[in-house]
Amino acid sequence: MESAYDLMARMAKASKELSYKGLFTYEYRGQLRSIKVVHLVRDGQTYERIVHMDGPEREIFRRGDNLDCLRAADMLLRGSSLKVNDTYAELEDYYEFYIRGDGRIAGRQVSLVEILPKDKLRYGYVVAIDKETGLMLQSVLLSQSGKPLERFQYVEISLATNLDNFQLSSEMAKSEDIDVNQSACLEANQEIEPVPSIWEPQWLPPGFVLSSYQPEGADGQESWMYTDGLAVFSVFIDSTEGTRNFPPLDAKLGTTVAVLTKTQYRNKLYAICVVGEIPRATAAQVANAIRPSAIGEVGSPQGQGN
Amino acid sequence: MSDQTERLAESLSALMDGEASEIEMHRILKEVGIDQDQKTSDQLSSSSASSSKPSSARAIWQRYNMVSASLAGEPVAKIDFSAAISAAIDEEGAHKVSVIGNIMSSMGRLAIAASVAMVAILGVQQLNAPDPASADVIQFAEMDIESTEQNTGPAIQFPSGFQPSIQARTVSAGGNVKTSQHLVPVVEVRKSAEQQFSEKELRAYMDDIMLKHSNNAALNSNQGMLPFARVTKSEARSDKE
Repeated sequence: MESAYDLMARMAKASKELSYKGLFTYEYRGQLRSIKVVHLVRDGQTYERIVHMDGPEREIFRRGDNLDCLRAADMLLRGSSLKVNDTYAELEDYYEFYIRGDGRIAGRQVSLVEILPKDKLRYGYVVAIDKETGLMLQSVLLSQSGKPLERFQYVEISLATNLDNFQLSSEMAKSEDIDVNQSACLEANQEIEPVPSIWEPQWLPPGFVLSSYQPEGADGQESWMYTDGLAVFSVFIDSTEGTRNFPPLDAKLGTTVAVLTKTQYRNKLYAICVVGEIPRATAAQVANAIRPSAIGEVGSPQGQGN
Repeated sequence: MSDQTERLAESLSALMDGEASEIEMHRILKEVGIDQDQKTSDQLSSSSASSSKPSSARAIWQRYNMVSASLAGEPVAKIDFSAAISAAIDEEGAHKVSVIGNIMSSMGRLAIAASVAMVAILGVQQLNAPDPASADVIQFAEMDIESTEQNTGPAIQFPSGFQPSIQARTVSAGGNVKTSQHLVPVVEVRKSAEQQFSEKELRAYMDDIMLKHSNNAALNSNQGMLPFARVTKSEARSDKE
């Protein structure tokens, strides 16, 4: 019998490598959204189209993620450990996995896996994994007291053997395009390098590793993304005119929280914002722990390290 | 036997809390029935009252109620109405039931259920509708450590999604009905000269980083399409384009 870990690893692989199209619902506090999706693998690249079926029209087209490109979360879910600062991050150190029997979702047989965090810094999940293909057909985010916070669930899904009819070019015309940044691809057991930023987090929830880094660009914003294999959060640091007057604040959209703090460094005001599907307390703790790094301390007088 | 008693005690405790399932309810009723029979036969054989047997459903129920009453500071009395009630039920003649009556009564039940559902839907809609009186007010819902926990109620969300709340100036703390210590009252802040930021800009900024986060999350997590579902483009953004 397949263990919960095997199932998770299979899920990580399937969501990327299979071609499928379907319709799923997303439920949060009595609000329901339905979204149509096409995931296509062609010539070793994945293409995705996401269409929101209700509310304001929104259509996203994401092109060109390399099948071979594994990121931190892929690695962690597939059971590899990642080396960060001489310690190894592994999924099972922070979550417990239980197989909770079988079910049926979107007309398909699924295995139910309950994933419970070992600390209070992250949420738990119940996921339903398609027995045949390994695709995740349902995901329920659980609060620390075990209450469901949001539910993602396929209503219908077809594994497309014949997705060649999918008109890539014409679909692209009206979608917002997202080109995939390939820079964060990892090799097996690769060590995650510290980033050349003038900032660094003095504290991170254990198990979270850097999975992408965007250095400060012309827009005056740099961003980091961290994952523990399941949960993700982003850190945005802005020094732009527009953010200068923002007060420190908390915000949330569904299960996504944002904590914005202000800090002054070398006579410049910075807005630090942590965004993610993590408990608010965790986000606040991360936001308050972002400090100038060693690079920042010895950097140029303007504090512009890079 | 003791295993069964333990289970029964659990069911009774659930019933006390109003959380008993249908199966538990059946279990309790069955046990109370057995109790009742035993009691009458006990009385016939003129032995001591079986209600004093610690394991009987009745005894447990009485004990729980006494504990709860004494905790609540109410006077504690050991009165058992159940025998009188079941005697009264026995005396009452059975209703004549016709086929049509049967159908009618089940329809009535259906109608009641439907009207309850209606009320529920109306209730949600009312709460969801933005309050026109507060149009000039930025509604700042105070965040809390675990506010996502309060997802039992209807959504109280901005149409465009975000509910910013200001840490720096928590103004008034209105009465909060919720007893959980995590929940902090909803705070409203009137627009004033002190606020030098533009709400529109703040909202646009939040929308922007949320979108960036979700696009990035879709790539850097194993949640498949889920991150795209979490964030919808707000009205402000679609106006701009």
